[in-house]
Amino acid sequence: MPFVNWLKRHFVVIAGLLTLAYLLLPNVVVTVFSFNKPKGRFNYEWQQFSTDAWKDPCGVAGMCGSLSLSLQIAVWATLGATLLGTMIAFALVRYRFRARGAVNSLIFLPMAMPEVVMAASLLTLFLNLGAQLGFWTILIAHIMFCLSFVVTAVKARVMSMDPRLEQAAQDLYAGPAQTFLRVTLPIAAPGIAAGALLAFALSFDDFIITNFNAGSTVTFPMFVWGSAQRGTPVQINVIGTAMFLVAVALVLTSMVISNRRTKHKA
Amino acid sequence: MKTNDSGSGDVRLTGISKTYGSFTAVHPLDLTVPQGSFFALLGASGCGKTTTLRMIAGLEEPSSGTVHLGDLDVTALPPYKRPVNTVFQSYALFPHLDIFENVAFGLRRRGIKSVKKQVEDMLELVQLGEQARKKPHQLSGGQQQRVAVARALINHPKVLLLDEPLGALDLKLRRQMQLELKRIQTEVGITFVHVTHDQEEAMTMADTVAVMNAGRVEQLGSPADLYENPHTTFVANFLGTSNLIEAEVDSRSGGDIVLKAGGGKLVLPEARCSAPTTTGGKVLVGVRPEKISLSHADDAGEIPEGRNRITGKIADSSFIGVSTQYVIDSSVCPEFEVYAQNIDRDARLVPGADVVLHWSPAHTFGLDAAQDIDAGIQEETAV
Repeated sequence: MPFVNWLKRHFVVIAGLLTLAYLLLPNVVVTVFSFNKPKGRFNYEWQQFSTDAWKDPCGVAGMCGSLSLSLQIAVWATLGATLLGTMIAFALVRYRFRARGAVNSLIFLPMAMPEVVMAASLLTLFLNLGAQLGFWTILIAHIMFCLSFVVTAVKARVMSMDPRLEQAAQDLYAGPAQTFLRVTLPIAAPGIAAGALLAFALSFDDFIITNFNAGSTVTFPMFVWGSAQRGTPVQINVIGTAMFLVAVALVLTSMVISNRRTKHKA
Repeated sequence: MKTNDSGSGDVRLTGISKTYGSFTAVHPLDLTVPQGSFFALLGASGCGKTTTLRMIAGLEEPSSGTVHLGDLDVTALPPYKRPVNTVFQSYALFPHLDIFENVAFGLRRRGIKSVKKQVEDMLELVQLGEQARKKPHQLSGGQQQRVAVARALINHPKVLLLDEPLGALDLKLRRQMQLELKRIQTEVGITFVHVTHDQEEAMTMADTVAVMNAGRVEQLGSPADLYENPHTTFVANFLGTSNLIEAEVDSRSGGDIVLKAGGGKLVLPEARCSAPTTTGGKVLVGVRPEKISLSHADDAGEIPEGRNRITGKIADSSFIGVSTQYVIDSSVCPEFEVYAQNIDRDARLVPGADVVLHWSPAHTFGLDAAQDIDAGIQEETAV
């Protein structure tokens, strides 16, 4: 039974490849269908190869506007949530204050709450305050739900930090500001970066909360959802593929950089 | 940066104390560390030695008292304004910086631009020139330890504080680093204040040792002085091993005190007794295990006159190589320890044999009997 033996020996590799295929198949489909030339309004059946959509990615009315809005919101939400979340994380780890335990648990509530509940209650809140729904309400909502994730990521990093490192910095003539900039921040940086990445991804593709609180403003996920009712332009696949490629490129660059750094050091 | 004003570089602690809530870590304490000396704070964990060190560094605020470096009162200065540097326990090297930048850190923070030459020289001194571009986690424990020393020393501090710097190293490396640190201290002439729980380490390295117990300095002196003339049972038991016998003052003859202990008489030079000696009063008589000679009971007649003697029975013996350690069961002390050099081994000295212990009265010391006789006896710990 040479085949069975071969299968036994390579079982782990085969299982791994299958899992990877399972994970990546949707991306492959999106990419393939970005080169489709559909008949009619729906891009669900393969017709013939074409690069029309790639040549004119903004050819669909309103799509690139919604994309740019989503990117802007994601950038601002990431900045806001990372800044606030990092400060909250430091406060929770470093300081002993009244109700610290309560704050510690409350900060995770948004993660546990069903998104649709949060979306509806936020809308109620905004309406009662008489707020104009749009860019700002979306941004406020996004910063709010990204916060818990940033706090979690940064807190883990700050907790594992040896307090003696900051004492050593002070002992070596670094004042409080220098200590924070030269020691605390660089050591906490991986946690902060992880939190920021998470916040960006969460904000960019959020649909439920945004849909409730956007008013007449349309973000990219809302645009995709809306057009899926009436017909899906191939350009959606083009944007999806492009986003995927950008993410892959970023990961590869960071891997190359860190590889080169370790080789250089060794 | 080096200080030349001799005599004014002392570290002076005046009435310094530290309390946390109702717990007193350090009782009000006066201590002067002379400039250029190698000073050790020795004690078990929790005795207040690290807290004392951190108050000198400025990392801990004293509840009372003052810290002077030379003529400068630094009590209110934050750590980054004190001319003092610390080698931390487990080193606290900056993980995100390479070895060069770790060592250059203090210079850069003081705005010194051209650090290359100084850092390279310092790395040469600790034999790490090749490792300058590695990250701390790529070095061995001993190398990391040397980086920590280099990072502190490059700033030419008035005082170098060392907080259990060798605690994380294995025994062989620790012995090596003890000599290395001692060499560096002699070479640079900076005052070293070294905190340790290892009495051998303190005695090997330091000129002066302060033995701390429960937030107080029990005794201060040179290693030999502390070992030969302990003033408390804690010091007697914590530094090496002591045999302590409860005795009663009987009479005096010349400069000697004659004591009664379990039917026999012991002689103690008055100068070596730190306790009040009224006739009939109690005193603890101490003698170190290596000062004692062991004779078989059959040879008792050959022991010279004038020596203190005690009879007993060998309970246990263990052969160490250079010496044999005996535990003797006697009427005055159930576990009398004797270390005998293996020069001429007497085959009759086996467990169960009747023996006579004898030693010169000059090697006897006296302690106040109103103390815990077992204070400072350490649990056997793997060091």
